[in-house]
Order: sequence, then C-alpha cells, then structure tokens
Amino acid sequence: VSVVAPERPSVADEPPVASYAPWRRALWGVFAVSLVLGLVGVWLRLVEGHLPAGYGSYVPWGLWIAVYFHGVGIAAGALAVAAIGYLLGWRGFVTRQSLRIATIVVAASVAPALLSVGLDLGRMERAWRIIVAPSFTSMMAFNTWTYLALLALCAGIWWLSYRPDRGWLKPLLVLAMLLIVMVPSQSGAFFGVVDAKPYWHSALLPILLFVSAMTAGAAVLLLVRALVADTGGDAGRRESYPALRILRTVVLVGIALYFVLEFAEFSIGLWNPQAGAPELDLVLTGPYWWVFWIVHVLLGGVVPFALLLLRSPRAWVVAGGLVGVTFVSSRLNVLIPGQAVGELRGLQEAFVHPRLDYVYNATAMEYLVALFAVALGMAIVYIGLRLSSMIEQRLSNEGDER
Amino acid sequence: VTERSEVESRDPAESAGSGGPLLTRREVIRSAALVGGTMAVAGAGVITARTAGATPDPTGEQTVRDLTVLDNVPAEVDEDVLLRMQRDLVKAMAKPVEERSWIMVIDTRKCVGCHACTLACVAENNLPPGVVYRPVVTEEFGEYPNVQLRFTPRPCMQCDEPPCVPVCPVNATWKRPDGIVAIDYDKCIGCRYCLTACPYGARTSDFGESYVAGVAEGADATEESVFGAQAPWMEQPSHEYGKAWERGDHASPEGNARKCHFCLHRLEVGQLPKCATSCIGRATYFGDANDPDSLVTELITQNNVQTLLPHKGTKPRVYYIV
Repeated sequence: VSVVAPERPSVADEPPVASYAPWRRALWGVFAVSLVLGLVGVWLRLVEGHLPAGYGSYVPWGLWIAVYFHGVGIAAGALAVAAIGYLLGWRGFVTRQSLRIATIVVAASVAPALLSVGLDLGRMERAWRIIVAPSFTSMMAFNTWTYLALLALCAGIWWLSYRPDRGWLKPLLVLAMLLIVMVPSQSGAFFGVVDAKPYWHSALLPILLFVSAMTAGAAVLLLVRALVADTGGDAGRRESYPALRILRTVVLVGIALYFVLEFAEFSIGLWNPQAGAPELDLVLTGPYWWVFWIVHVLLGGVVPFALLLLRSPRAWVVAGGLVGVTFVSSRLNVLIPGQAVGELRGLQEAFVHPRLDYVYNATAMEYLVALFAVALGMAIVYIGLRLSSMIEQRLSNEGDER
Repeated sequence: VTERSEVESRDPAESAGSGGPLLTRREVIRSAALVGGTMAVAGAGVITARTAGATPDPTGEQTVRDLTVLDNVPAEVDEDVLLRMQRDLVKAMAKPVEERSWIMVIDTRKCVGCHACTLACVAENNLPPGVVYRPVVTEEFGEYPNVQLRFTPRPCMQCDEPPCVPVCPVNATWKRPDGIVAIDYDKCIGCRYCLTACPYGARTSDFGESYVAGVAEGADATEESVFGAQAPWMEQPSHEYGKAWERGDHASPEGNARKCHFCLHRLEVGQLPKCATSCIGRATYFGDANDPDSLVTELITQNNVQTLLPHKGTKPRVYYIV
C-alpha cells in the first residue's frame, strides 16, 4: 500500500495569524480554581466515603462514571487523529512532536478518568484485583485492560518518538488504531450488554460512543495544538494551521454525525407505536431537560458547529474547548436516564430511602471531584509538554556537542 | 514545547508524507504480528473466562449435614407448614450440595403486605440504611370503590441465568451448585455493575450508612450506650455466608454489593430463611425442588405459578402463586 501525500505548500503560503488563544492565561485561573475546589472534593471523598454522594442502589452510577467514559473517549479520539495523520502523512501531523502531544492528551484524559472511576468504587483498595484476577466475561474487566494497554502503548510511542526509527513506531501506531476503535466502542458495549436497561440495550450505542469519542478527542487535541502553537510565535502558528484545519473538519463532521445517529436512536423510541419511552421523556422533558437542550444541543452542537464554520482559527479553538467540555453531557444523557427507569413498578416505594430512589442529583462532592479530574488533566498536559520540551532541548544539545 | 521545535524535529525521511510507502514490508509484518497477537490474547481471555465452569464452592460428601434440629419433634398430620418445610430442609441438607436445588414459592393470595419479612431480614442480616434484601412491592389496581391491592415480596430471584454474575469484573459473585447466587464480600470491589445488570433491582450497595450515626450527639453516657454508636445491638456481627462480619472501620460488607442469599448461614444449621419463618400468613415457602416430596415441589406443580419478568430469560428460582 502506498499513499502519497498531496503537494505540500510552503509554510509561507499560509496566512499569518494572530494568537489562536489570547485568553490562554485565563486557563491558569481555571486550573487554580479547579485544583483548590477539587482537592476539597477528594478530601471529602476520602474522609466521608460515599456518604456525601448522590448516587444510590437504583441509580448506582453518576457524574464520575460519565467523566470516566468521557475521559477515555477523549483519549481515543485524540490519538486516532494524530496516529492516522502521522501514518497517512497529513499536513501538520507528520512530525513526531505531533504524536507526542497526542500521547500527552491521552495520559491527561485517561489518568483523570481512572481516578474518577477509582473514587467511585466501594472498595477502591481492591481495584488491583481487576488486573490480577479479571473475569473477561465482564466488559468492565475488558475495558480496564484495554485502557491500561492504551496507556502502555502511548508510553511506548512517546519513548520511540525520541529514538532513531528502527521500524517499530508505525507498527505501534497501527496497533493503537485497533485499541482506538476498541476503547470507545467498548464503552458503548459496557452499557449495551446490560439487558436490564432497555435504554442502554442498543447495538447503536457502541457506534454513538465511538463517534462522540472521535469528536471530543479531536476537539481537545485542537485546543491543545492551538495552545502549543501560540507558544511558538508566528512560525508555530503557521506550522500548526493545517493541523487545526484538519481537526476542525473532524470535529465538524463528528458533531453532525453524532446528532444524526442520536436522532436515529431517539426516533425509534419516539415513533414506536407499541410502547412509550420514559427514558427519552426524561432526557427531553424531564427535570434535567437543560442538560440535553442547552448543554448538549446548544453548547455542544449548534454553537461549536457555527464557530467551526467560520474561517477564524480563534473561533475553532473556542469550539474545541466547548465540545471537549460539553460532550460529557452525551455520556450523562446515556448513563443517567438508562438507570432512572426501573423494570419493577413500585419498587422505589416498597422500601423508602434516599439510596433507593430513581432520582439522581449529583452532589457538591461529586462536582468538586470532577473539577479535580479537570485540574489533573490540565496539570498532566502542562507537565507533559514541559517535559517533552526539556527532553527535546537536551537531545538537541547532545546533537550539537557531537 | 513549541511549534518551532516541531519544525526542527521534523524528519521528512521517516514520515509517510515524504512520498514513500505508508508502511515498509517489515513494518507491515510487525503491525500484523502486533495486531494479531493482541486480538489472539484478547480472544483467549474471553474464551477462557466463558468456558470456566468450576465454582469455588466445595461439593460432595464434605457438604453433607447431619442436622438434629427436629429429632425430638415427631411428625404429625396437618402440622404447621413451617415444620413441614424444616423437615424438607433437614432432608435436603443430608445430600451433597450439588444435589440440592433451593427454590422459594410466594403465595401472593395470602400475602397481606405486612412487611414483616422485610424487617425480619433486615434484623437477621444487620442491614444498614439503604440496604434491603426483600422489599414488598405494593401495586394498586382499579378506581374507588373497586380497588384491589397486590403485594409482591421481592427477594433475590437466584436466577439460573443470572445477569449479575458475568458482569462482575473480579469473579466476586457466582452461581452455587445448589442454585443460590453468592457474593464474596472479601473480593467485591464495589463497582456496582451487578446492580445495574439485575432487572429486579435485587442488589443494593452498602454505602456505609448507620441507623445510629449522629443519634448520640449531645447525649449522656447512659443514652449513648442505649441509642448511640456503641449500642450493643450494633456490635452484633452479621453472619452472612457463615462468617462473622463485624461492622465498622470500613470493613466489608461496607462498600460491597449485597443481596438476599436465601439465608445460607441459617440453612447450614437447619433453619429456614428468616422471611419464611417470619411470614405471619405463611405465604412464603422454601425448599428443595430436587425432592419430589417436598412442599415447594408440591406447590409449584399443583398451582398456577409465575415468575417475575420471564421475558428477560433469567430463569428465576422464586415462584409466585397467583
């Protein structure tokens, strides 16, 4: 198989651009606030256990599980675009540095995801059992192993990216493609295999989660690439422009495809003449209607789509940030309504307790821990990029000395 | 990291963008080996897990129990069904565990919705707030004055095709040879996947709540000893699965999934499940379906029985006489 890249115009052909993200210093404020508030949440979780949490036995999974699946989705999506771009020689993706940025995004999204799910466990000190005594009949065990394999693979790609090529980097990227398909699809299968929840039990769910992962991952990569480009001045921005354009296209197509698939899924329930769809009613008109209509449709769909249609890279970066954050609502809108409708009528009233309720409201502790996950992700991006820069500098100095 | 360094680190010769082949022959072989090897390992893991049949429970003669609980109570015609069921229990326990097949039969025509079984179960297993093994679902039909109530006690169905078992990522729950679905509290990681997988909502999670938390605040020593965190009844362990589970200091089963287990710990010593003995209307029956002479076998063969959500294909071991 041989693929020839299109003729590459010189960097000077690209229009000079102003800063992609002039507001980037504000991210320090976001980080500081997220870290401080997040530490309060983690402290609460460690001291008070699960008592301050809002989930219970009838809605056993809440915000943290949505953050978990959103994080691993971002990881898969970011690596997918970078790996395909490197393998096919897309402009803006042909350097090893672009791969390194993607692996940093993977670490920065998988680590907070695993932290979120770890804190969600009733006995988190036993989480190691999934590694040493897994049951692969469970999609959870399969998922965990795949995520860890993805992290290990990214570590390998990172390491190889600094070394002379001995013919292993591209094979690792091909293997990464397999894991990239598996990770978000398994997230969908994780829910899809649960026959007890009709809302989840759909073959379309793995595809929906795959598309949302590609979209959110490309969006976050767009944001990070733009931030990195800004540190490189005009040359850096010009160099990154083709990458941003490709990422913009991926996000645009991803948003459109996701909403088409979501409509397909919803239409089956809404037009089904045999039965109602209480879960869909909850999503569309329930107490959390605004999560779907405002967070998901407006801020995760309409607004970023419109921004991406503009010719301004600054608008694309804002759109990337919006999609990266608001697409967590696509996870929440799968996760919560699926649990909020019981199969046995009257069960909630049979033994009354807040933990035995089909209504779920995330508590302050859950939001604070989610903020910590954001802060952790930002810290990993920053440290990863700094570390990458230091290693490059050292290798460059060593090369000069020789 | 700057984009300038990206410019400097570019190595056109190694990228596909240089016009060379996407992958060299060596890279194709290595890619195929890596992808094929990964898929083979993943497939082997799944197949191994799906074909593993052995349960961790002992079987055979070592599980036979020679129980003497009714040795001094001679059988009588028309004796209380509790005595009849207990005789059936003693008889079943004299067989190896794999030859028993425990089922429960609930006569909804007799159930008056008193919830005695629910509370007896809570007391027997020292269940904390928010954990319940046997709620009684109440449904109301019709309009005044033609109203009818239906009560449906809902223990764990101990399904023969339990959806909660295969989703456990650490093999902490399994189907016993006698039909009961058990949980190993020392293995469970508290992920709650099994809770979502059960269509009956029969599993609840122990979030570490306490009936007496905060009750003794501001109380004197006497009040605290009666109502407080040190109340003697709180120090009593639960004896589920034949082990003493002391509460406190985040010890299991806190953080674990919990559910009805047909009072396994009571069966081992010749006692019927607490819900059966506490039922004021004798509406709950328990016994060995492998015994053609047992009361439960008689009930399910002579009555119109149903199971809950049969379309789910879980094959419950709890039958309802309607």
